[in-house]
Amino acid sequence: MRIVIKDLEIWYNSIKALDNISLEIVDGELTFVIGPNGAGKSSLLKAISLLVPPKRGVIYIDGRDIRLYNAKELAKTLAYVDPHISRSMPSTVLEYLITARYPHKNFLNFKEDAMDLEIIDRVSRQMNIVHLLNRRLDQLSSGELQRVVIARALVQQPKIMLLDEPSAFLDLRYRLEILEHIRNVTRIEKIVTVVAIHDLYLASLYADRVILLSNGSILACGGVEEVLDREVIEKVYGVKVALLKINGRRIIVPIEPLNSLHSSDNVFRSEID
Amino acid sequence: MAIELYRVSIRRFLVTFLSLLTVFFFIFILSLSVGSTVVNPVEIFIKLMQSLTHRMMDAFGSQHLIVGAVTEVDKIYSIAMFRLGRTIAAILTGSILGVAGLLMQTVTRNPLAEPYILGLSSAALFAIAVGIILVPSIIVYRWALMIVAFIGALLGFILAITLSRLAGGTSIALVLSGIAVNALFSGLSHVFLYAVQKIIRMPYVFLLMGSTSIVVLNDVIFLLLPFAIGTTISLLLFRMLNAFIYGDEHAKQLGYNPSTVLIVISAIASILTASTVAIVGIVGFVGLAAPHISRLLVGTDHRFSVPIVAITGAIITTVADIVVRIISLLSVGLGELPLGVITSTIGAPFLAYLIIKRVRGYEDSY
Repeated sequence: MRIVIKDLEIWYNSIKALDNISLEIVDGELTFVIGPNGAGKSSLLKAISLLVPPKRGVIYIDGRDIRLYNAKELAKTLAYVDPHISRSMPSTVLEYLITARYPHKNFLNFKEDAMDLEIIDRVSRQMNIVHLLNRRLDQLSSGELQRVVIARALVQQPKIMLLDEPSAFLDLRYRLEILEHIRNVTRIEKIVTVVAIHDLYLASLYADRVILLSNGSILACGGVEEVLDREVIEKVYGVKVALLKINGRRIIVPIEPLNSLHSSDNVFRSEID
Repeated sequence: MAIELYRVSIRRFLVTFLSLLTVFFFIFILSLSVGSTVVNPVEIFIKLMQSLTHRMMDAFGSQHLIVGAVTEVDKIYSIAMFRLGRTIAAILTGSILGVAGLLMQTVTRNPLAEPYILGLSSAALFAIAVGIILVPSIIVYRWALMIVAFIGALLGFILAITLSRLAGGTSIALVLSGIAVNALFSGLSHVFLYAVQKIIRMPYVFLLMGSTSIVVLNDVIFLLLPFAIGTTISLLLFRMLNAFIYGDEHAKQLGYNPSTVLIVISAIASILTASTVAIVGIVGFVGLAAPHISRLLVGTDHRFSVPIVAITGAIITTVADIVVRIISLLSVGLGELPLGVITSTIGAPFLAYLIIKRVRGYEDSY
């Protein structure tokens, strides 16, 4: 599996969200997309999963334009994870997870196969949501819902997994556990995994490749050492960062904003400095 | 864990289905026995069984072993057969409205949606009234009447959804839009039906509030066909419906085009509603209560909830129809109450309860 994007351009009405994006993403690696708010991280993920139509440019999966895939093929190939699901109709976690197997089912098959349920069982154990299976979706906490939504993608067994802010709402332990698990799945199953994330610390910990977006275009793209450069990050985010070397990995730690919201304060301080 | 839970849900479905079927059977017999002359339900049950065995024996060409009972003109049997038409009409109306309500709640992802509340029923009746005014002879062509009603219902649905999207798309906005659509079309229907009362030759209140007393056995086919088609399609599309409730993006990712789902399901819900409006008139709130009861019993999975909602709707409506007859029995000689009066009386407090629960519960989860 390999995703190739050429000259992608996305518009929301009259606002340009992505401009002139060309890149290549390969399987077996964790690709992290980082960038400040409104940089176009979600738009990139949604464009790859065909949830947002591109205005210009083409996205190829294995050399074939994604618009040429039929709906069912695409459903077997792609999963986009975003915790903003509608929970206005009461339904249980199990009912939700079962829907993720639908792309693999035939039209006239009324029964759920034991195999499908075993997959759900296995993933639920990995995501530690077995005790939630019979719970209603609208009664879950944000962190529990986040795990359920990620479990949905894993149950779908896609070849391309796109995760939008998977670390949001999760506590420290689950952040590390789940990203580690996703990295293992990516490597063992040889799938393409793209993670859009705000947490640079997690990105520096788990990324194989990093794409840095700013104002809808790619600023840097490559290995962790290349992209997570102190000067670049400080310029893009406007934050003073420090680089630490821990266990042979370079970790980014944010320290303070370069221009705080009370900028007059800042000017005053920098004059003293 | 998932396997056990799934097995439990299948068992729960089967138990619920069989228990409801038993309840349904008792109510069916009761409905045949209650009316201006009350007959002992046990006798009706015996007569029905006898007639059934006779017919079976006829079908297999064997000689009648039991002579008498049904072969001669039997008073009890003919009373029961006389009420069979309206009873089946009540059953089918309930099932149809239950399924229509379920589909509408799924497609709007709003537990308060229902053919009456969203104004489909009144829009369908309005279309019928306009049809009668333009072409008075349409009243004898039931199929034409149903097509007109279908167009009306669909327009009502589209209007309610459009209004609610303009109003911000919240669940309460949808209900408020429905109230506006409903008020407009039921007002207009009132005026138009009043004007054509001579043509339809019955109190038009019966159409506005629904009644089974005007239905004869031959009309039942006009309900049976839409019911069979609508329920079969909903059952076949259960995966699509299950995937749809978690949002457009979720449905799209699983390979279902959200706009196609919306169009197909709205059309089916409109056909179902239109058929009941054309044959028995507007019966409100059954489509609200039945889906909630069925979800409470077997959960949201549509392969379970569609059959359960059909039986639940049938039971509610048939009970309401029996209540109508009991009331007219107690208050001699004033004619019958419309069926919709009873279902509204049962259903409106239910709606109130749901509004309170919903506003407290999951308004933020949209």
